[in-house]
Amino acid sequence: MNRLWWTQIKAVIRLEWKKTFFAKRGLWIYVVAAMPVALFIVYAVVTANQQHQSANIARQSQRAITRQEMLSIKPGMTREEVIAILGKPPGDFQWTETRPTGPKTTEPILREDFHYSDGLDNLYLGLENGKVQNINMQGMNNFGEDAILFAGVFQFFFLRLAIFFGCLGVFMNLFRGEVLDKSLHFYFLAPIRREVLMAGKFLAGLLATCTIFVTSEILQTVAFVGHFNPHVRDLYLYQYHGLEHAAIYVGVTILACIGYGAFFLVAGMLFRNPIIPAAAVLIWEGINPFLPAILKQFSVIYYLKSLCPVEIPVSPGTPGLFALLVSNADPISPPLAIGGILVVALIALFVSSVQVRRMEINYTTE
Amino acid sequence: MNDRIIFEDVSKFYGEILGVNRVNLSIPPGITGLVGPNGSGKTTLMNLMTGLVKPSRGRIQVLGIATDDPENLFKLVGYSTQFDAFPKGLTGFQFIYSYLCLTGMLQPDAERTAWQAIERVNLVDAASRKIAAYSKGMRQRVRLAQALAHNPKVLVLDEPLNGLDPLARSEMIAVFRASAAAGCYVIISSHILHEVDVISDQVILLSNGYVVAEGQIQSVRNEIQEHPTQILIRCDRPRDLAARLFQSEYMIEASIHKDERGVLLKTRDADRFYLAINQLALDGIQIESIAPADDDVLSVYEYLIGNEEVVR
Repeated sequence: MNRLWWTQIKAVIRLEWKKTFFAKRGLWIYVVAAMPVALFIVYAVVTANQQHQSANIARQSQRAITRQEMLSIKPGMTREEVIAILGKPPGDFQWTETRPTGPKTTEPILREDFHYSDGLDNLYLGLENGKVQNINMQGMNNFGEDAILFAGVFQFFFLRLAIFFGCLGVFMNLFRGEVLDKSLHFYFLAPIRREVLMAGKFLAGLLATCTIFVTSEILQTVAFVGHFNPHVRDLYLYQYHGLEHAAIYVGVTILACIGYGAFFLVAGMLFRNPIIPAAAVLIWEGINPFLPAILKQFSVIYYLKSLCPVEIPVSPGTPGLFALLVSNADPISPPLAIGGILVVALIALFVSSVQVRRMEINYTTE
Repeated sequence: MNDRIIFEDVSKFYGEILGVNRVNLSIPPGITGLVGPNGSGKTTLMNLMTGLVKPSRGRIQVLGIATDDPENLFKLVGYSTQFDAFPKGLTGFQFIYSYLCLTGMLQPDAERTAWQAIERVNLVDAASRKIAAYSKGMRQRVRLAQALAHNPKVLVLDEPLNGLDPLARSEMIAVFRASAAAGCYVIISSHILHEVDVISDQVILLSNGYVVAEGQIQSVRNEIQEHPTQILIRCDRPRDLAARLFQSEYMIEASIHKDERGVLLKTRDADRFYLAINQLALDGIQIESIAPADDDVLSVYEYLIGNEEVVR
């Protein structure tokens, strides 16, 4: 790249970033990017409220309860055995139900719900006629579950929907939007190679999407760890690889913007209606797990899923097709995944550069 | 030929619709007027010349540079289009400045050059306002400023005087003439014939996508054989003059001017006619002036194309 091209690319970026960041028709991208942040803020508020309630329950207990004591409760234990181990429950809810025993006969059932807490973990017990039937132990600081929750939101909402459609909105409009506004000739009348123009526009789009979605990703992490107390937060970030995961998620976000951005840049040149390529790519990405290995490589999500730091476990009983969607049956190593996504992006950019050279200004046919 | 704008057997089709067909041109320096009714192919020809559309067939070179090489082409060419849309949110100054930055100019140079271009089109007062708030004439001027900003060797101007008030028109015409005098190639399209007539050194007449004539207007007129040449002679005895001239077989028609001080004559052979006039002058008729009456663009246009959609 010579110096003139770089100067021209910077000029294109300066012109484009304002349009991309402040375009009225791009406001929805901010909304989509903010949605997971809002979700994790709500999650943090709800969790903080639960922690407050647990602390109250723990305070109201007859004595201090340990986690081991709560774990020692087994199904079939009697009410008295439970009270002997954990004390009288601070939260106790009773009601009576009737159960039919014959055509015209019923029997009453006494049901009770006990709620214990050690201040961090909550134990919910369901008793039927004085015997333990259901046990539900919920940890307030279960890093494993929280990490899977975060990974689920990242993979199924942030990657597949927010970044996907955000990139569609930004990159499809880089050329298509100019054609619709009838202002593309402004660029085509400048002494600038079409490929350099395309590179400038792509980088401007990349700058915009990376800024929006990386900011969103960082805010999600901040909101996500917001409900931990400082000690637990440090534990999560430094001992349980929370910081490392956050950095990987940022990296995956950037790679997703590169991959989808290049895809939608070329789609914006080849198609007039963005719905067609968006639907096609969405379906292609969706059916990726079912594709032969060779075809999988021409997908962005294939590489991105391989890079995600937390694998979402497939629960027993999950339908086969859905299980395939959730799990990455054929993951590849991070260097190969990063290389693969860059190669896919380069192929898309090459097609774009051929296409941009062929473009004509003929607004009347649009 | 690196000193001409060359079209070699160029055709352009938009699907099945003809843009221009089999165009062969060699455009020299100076002001060249592109004349033709709406839909005749003027804008297509300009868009082809600037690479905004690609020819379906043939080859175009602008001073030796192919039109699919925008990096080098637009160092030489400035194009003021008819497209009345601008990048959103820009002021007049930002529009020119951004364009100059795209050329690779450094920011301080671009700023200075942008102001110079804005001064040339007399738009300094409005330069800081958003283009969206401009009148039609101001938008026309800012487009001209963009085309002129980098001092191109070739100026392609599509209906450049549209929307301008008379003062601005004369200022712009002066700019075009100055550019042409400096050796530039100024290609102007217009359907206002008297404008083209006043400013053009040569014309290209287009009709239905075909070039029907090109060259200096008098040369074009001389080649139109089926229409007799019209000559207006101002003299003291127009009736005597007409009677004497009608003795020749190449005279077709004569009509006395309403002020009785001139006669409009139609002849099939202008050369022999002028020789005869010399003789008459020697014979004592006081001739004040002899002027061709139909070697302007309007007449040529009417002879070759008809008078559809012509603005006189």
